[in-house]
Amino acid sequence: MGILRIIACATFAAAVSTLPAKAQQLTVWHDLGDNGIKWFEALSAEFAKQKPGVTVRSQSFPTDQWFGRVISALNTDTAPDLIFNNYERVIRIQNQTNKVMDLKELTGKISDKAFLSADDMRVATFKGRQIIIPIQRVQMAFGLRKSWLEKNGGKFPDTWEEVKTLAAAFRDNDPDGNGKADTFGLALQAAKPRDLIHMLDLFMFGSGLRHTLIDPEGKITIDQPAHAQVLEEFLKTYSSYKFVSPDTINHSFAEMYQVIEGGRGGMFRVGDWNVRKWDGAQVLNGDFVSGPWPKFAADRPNAVVIGGMRGVAVPENSPNKALAQEFAAFMLSKAAQQASLENIGAGVRKDLDVSKLSPRSQYFAKAEHRLVAYDFPESIHAFYPELEAAFHRKLLSGIANPPADWKAFIAETAKEMRDLATKLKG
Amino acid sequence: MTELLGNLSRDRVFYLLVAPFAALTILLGIWPILLSIQVSFTASATALRPNPTYVGFANYLAVLSDSIFLASLWRTLLYTVLSVIANLAFALGFAILLDSTLLKRGNLFFRLAIFLPVITPDVAGYVVWRWLYDRSFGALNAALELLGLPAFGGLSSVDTALLSILIAELWHHAGFYMIIFLANLSIRDRALEEAAQIDGATTWQRWRYVILPQLRPALVINTVYALIQFLKTFTVVVVMTKGGPNDQTNFVSYYAYQLFDQARYGEATAMATILFAIVIGLSLTAYRIGDREPGR
Repeated sequence: MGILRIIACATFAAAVSTLPAKAQQLTVWHDLGDNGIKWFEALSAEFAKQKPGVTVRSQSFPTDQWFGRVISALNTDTAPDLIFNNYERVIRIQNQTNKVMDLKELTGKISDKAFLSADDMRVATFKGRQIIIPIQRVQMAFGLRKSWLEKNGGKFPDTWEEVKTLAAAFRDNDPDGNGKADTFGLALQAAKPRDLIHMLDLFMFGSGLRHTLIDPEGKITIDQPAHAQVLEEFLKTYSSYKFVSPDTINHSFAEMYQVIEGGRGGMFRVGDWNVRKWDGAQVLNGDFVSGPWPKFAADRPNAVVIGGMRGVAVPENSPNKALAQEFAAFMLSKAAQQASLENIGAGVRKDLDVSKLSPRSQYFAKAEHRLVAYDFPESIHAFYPELEAAFHRKLLSGIANPPADWKAFIAETAKEMRDLATKLKG
Repeated sequence: MTELLGNLSRDRVFYLLVAPFAALTILLGIWPILLSIQVSFTASATALRPNPTYVGFANYLAVLSDSIFLASLWRTLLYTVLSVIANLAFALGFAILLDSTLLKRGNLFFRLAIFLPVITPDVAGYVVWRWLYDRSFGALNAALELLGLPAFGGLSSVDTALLSILIAELWHHAGFYMIIFLANLSIRDRALEEAAQIDGATTWQRWRYVILPQLRPALVINTVYALIQFLKTFTVVVVMTKGGPNDQTNFVSYYAYQLFDQARYGEATAMATILFAIVIGLSLTAYRIGDREPGR
């Protein structure tokens, strides 16, 4: 009997010794789709090398649903361990919940972070709190159909006048050679406030200006001469110049992508996240080239635009708060950033191996061009979304019924925006 | 009281069977509506917090003094009237045609053809309509060009956008109303028509005084259903125009949705509540009018 007891105890001890340490799981909610899920799987495997037994499970939601889920989860103490999204979206979460952790202290403890610029840290901070750790710069360049460009001299346009010449050629000279007049100079969008103002932002910031509609002091900028010049040309692009599809007034992101990927638009926005898909044989097959946005004045340098910053945030009521912070810090490590570059096409470090990327992806990964970041007015002016919606409505009325005098239209718009901003501030 | 308890006890099986469905109706039907109404009385910035700040009727006052909302409400009502008339007239006309001897051959084919759009996923249908209307590669303008006719502005012109989505919605919904009319036509008392014919009534008089009164149930149900449907018009706008061009298709549902996108939850739910009240009011009025006995 005694021998049996010893055998039983030994068997039990052996079984216990083979069990792993207590397993722990972190949950991340994001909106990056399949690429994001693959990225977090890679991160999970890498993090487990430092923290055996810890797994990271990511869940991707469509952006609209992500907002609702995160806000209600944070407000009802059923939060995930981490959330991942664009800075301006995390601002909205913080506004609605007041439960996004200040990560300043955590970031201070990270030694390997010299690659984060002052601009990066500025777009991570909202009302004095660092609400995200910046993980991926969202770069947006000006792109052209390479084969169409080659048929028209092959020189990447540097100035707005050169862009206009090319746009007319792409529209009129049948660059795809199908014998039909079915191509356009540019592929843009206009339907929703963010659609149109986002496009305008790219031309403004890309041409070296700092604020599209309102500056940090609350002054409306659209009728300042340099701004008014870009705005007028931008509005004419949608109307009298006829450089875009006539249906663009109703186009949002999906329709804009149909024009680009359907081979009908000659010039367009290229986001770093677009490159992987557009390199695909069934899409653009790499037939595009990227560069900085066009110059509107010789003395103002042009640039590629940092249109956003994706980052990781930790809810105050994260179930595994300490471990979640460790993982958030880990996302800046070289291994994690390499996985980010390979799966999403973006990162913040500059010491990553880019040799496996296509030349078009390398353009963004090396970030050798001049970069200019958005000003994120929503982080300063709480009323900005409402002001932007009114601005959008006014611009659309101009595009739908083009005025004889755009300068007068811009002056009138500026006055209306000033009146509205004053009212909203009050 | 004793009688009430007695009735409850007697009908306990009925109440037991009904209870789960009543609970589901309250949970999934009434509760969200009440929550939405509650949010309409809160400040947007705190609307989704556990302890929101209540602002009384401030959101309603803001909404009712918003000229864009008033324009969108007017547009919604106009679109609803036009759509209800167009859909019911088309559906009734087609139902009469299918019920007559004129379309005996191919009757089943035509019934299927007109009903198929109803079961087609609306998003897919509207995407195809958007392509048909496209000014650069759409089939509609290609056909007009072939015929030497001027181009149709479609969804991108402020003059034709409303008409364009009305046609697309007609395509999607008319089959449903037609089936209701057809069902009503098939159960009408044909002996009354024969009697009227014997009495010398003309075809028009038979339709006006004998057949049409018998279609009252279908007319009432179709009118009420169509009113509800078109007052809430949303999907077609999201897919085809996003409220444009220049707000020409910006109906109340879509405008409220846009405010959600700007995190203006209080005003958005106030708009939804106003629309809800209008839908209930108009539907009940239409039902009451339709349900009145003739001559009263």
